[in-house]
Amino acid sequence: MTPDSVPGPAASGPGQLDELGEVDILVGIPSFNNAKTIGHVVRAVEVGLNKYFPGRRSVLVNSDGGSTDGTADVVREASADFDSILLEHRIGGFRKLVTPYHGVPGKGSAFRTVFQIARQLGAKACAVVDSDLRSITPEWIELLVKPVLEEGFDYVSPYYMRHKYDGTITNSIVYPLTRALYGKRIRQPIGGDFGFSGRLASFYLEKNVWESDVARFGIDIWMTTTALANDFRICQAFLGAKIHDAKDPGADLSAMLHQVVGSVFDLMEEYAGAWSAVKGSEPVATFGFVYSVGLEPIHVNVDRMIEMFRLGVKDLGPFYKAFLPADVLSFLDDLAARPDRRSFTYADGAWVKTIMSFALACHRKDVSREHIIKSLTPLYLGKVASFVNETWDCTAEEVEARLEELCLAFEKEKSYLVERWNGKA
Amino acid sequence: MNSPIDKVFIEPLREVARKLVAFLPSLLTGIVVFAAGLLLAWLVKVIVVRVLRLFKLDAAFTRSGVSDALQKMAVKETPVKLIGRTFFWLVTFIFFILALKVMKVPVIDQLLENLLLFLPNIFVALIIVVMGWLLGNFLGRAALIASVNAGIKLSSQISRGVKGVILVFAIVMAFEQVGIGRTTLVVAFAIAFGGAVLALALAFGLGGKDLARTYLEKRFKKDREGDGRDDLRHL
Repeated sequence: MTPDSVPGPAASGPGQLDELGEVDILVGIPSFNNAKTIGHVVRAVEVGLNKYFPGRRSVLVNSDGGSTDGTADVVREASADFDSILLEHRIGGFRKLVTPYHGVPGKGSAFRTVFQIARQLGAKACAVVDSDLRSITPEWIELLVKPVLEEGFDYVSPYYMRHKYDGTITNSIVYPLTRALYGKRIRQPIGGDFGFSGRLASFYLEKNVWESDVARFGIDIWMTTTALANDFRICQAFLGAKIHDAKDPGADLSAMLHQVVGSVFDLMEEYAGAWSAVKGSEPVATFGFVYSVGLEPIHVNVDRMIEMFRLGVKDLGPFYKAFLPADVLSFLDDLAARPDRRSFTYADGAWVKTIMSFALACHRKDVSREHIIKSLTPLYLGKVASFVNETWDCTAEEVEARLEELCLAFEKEKSYLVERWNGKA
Repeated sequence: MNSPIDKVFIEPLREVARKLVAFLPSLLTGIVVFAAGLLLAWLVKVIVVRVLRLFKLDAAFTRSGVSDALQKMAVKETPVKLIGRTFFWLVTFIFFILALKVMKVPVIDQLLENLLLFLPNIFVALIIVVMGWLLGNFLGRAALIASVNAGIKLSSQISRGVKGVILVFAIVMAFEQVGIGRTTLVVAFAIAFGGAVLALALAFGLGGKDLARTYLEKRFKKDREGDGRDDLRHL
């Protein structure tokens, strides 16, 4: 690794990690062709570090995947106008580091480079933020770093306020399942922006996952789950609204589901010992001032989702028979046959059993794992359609209350999963 | 002096008896070899079945749909038993040939030689068909899931089509391997496949032109006007 060290906001030039010596705070920004947005992120980080941690030695690491749009130049040149931002401009020991990452292309490999530099520089607290963020403010750095630096937490998960129909995979699968499994109420387990201790960064590096899917796309859930399952001190920080560039608008939903849900299922295998005995869940400490955001109307094509659900139940029915229990199959047939959209309700109990049966099928290696997870797509769309139906007129708080019910259903049915996972039923 | 009766009847009979006596040891050896083969075949069958069960292949065959497919073909035995039985007959057959070889009958020798030279081809052909069937099942299911996820209403037909094409490919390759109607089959397959593709192209082109236009118009209109679009963010 031959990073370019860029000391101070205006200077630039090549340098070595050794020249930096030890640092207190490291903020990593993974990037790949993010020239349009990364400048704002770098400035927010720089202001955040100067404003909230003026006496600390800090470094910003841009771990780049070979951008060709001048991302690295934007990072080098981005500089905050402190005179207009801070009343008192306190010069801290802030440095910038632009380095390419090596290995499998993906966010995970970029993070690995960040962890390595954090270990090498002896960073006490670290944070990683996405390079396509448009809503990041200097306060994010304070909220992600301070709980580690001053409160002794090892992992800070982000808590954003999002539109009620944003993050439907998180809301319907990842959050309730992770919460039921590991017993901690981490609202955004795949948020993308995290704070963590140097100790946890070193722990991550020891894990042999850097050639697997984790290196590509499963890094967010992997970081959260690894921290949860290994008893690190966890909290969450309320960061406000998250606005970022759309993640590849053409991305295939089933591929997305395969990546995210597949990662959760893989981690269930690895940490079966950690989650099988956990009952119920408890809240985690939350930093920041929580507020709600407005609900601008968005367009949701519920009819199309129901149509996809019906098609899936009709054509994939024989395939589902290999791993879904009879009562779920009969529920799905019944739901698909309902002609009225208003009566289309995918009951929480049936949804929980569906997800758990998919996890069990992957665990037992019934059929091809990829086929199992990708065949979840129409059922997931059915659940989302049902959720939209139920919550169309609800406020953000009412939607959260509805999600709480779903989470409790996951917790209640956990024994169903545990018994079958261990082959007792 | 040999009487004519001796010459006509007794001598040939003696000759036959002598040849029979000379052949008897070979025959007995052949019978013993065959009997040993039967015993060994039974042993091999038992061992193969036990080993396969040890690796839980029965459950794997059930999960992958092999057992279902066999049942549909009216095969009542489990795949593992079927493999065991195949090994039994394979060993029996080998020992049967060995027994015939031991008996040293020139005509049978010649026949056996031809058969033995042909056996590897049959074996390879069988493997090609089995692999084709398994691949067809796998890719057929992949096509089914992908087309359902893409919202295509003819998903099961697409899946069956993919499966069928792969199986037909495998069968043609198997026939090619054993040399049955080599040229005829390849030409027939090429004509049939090309014809099917042409027919489909014409059918879609002529029959579905209005549908295609409507679809494209709708799609591009959708993109322009945002009609029917989802603003949902799944992640």
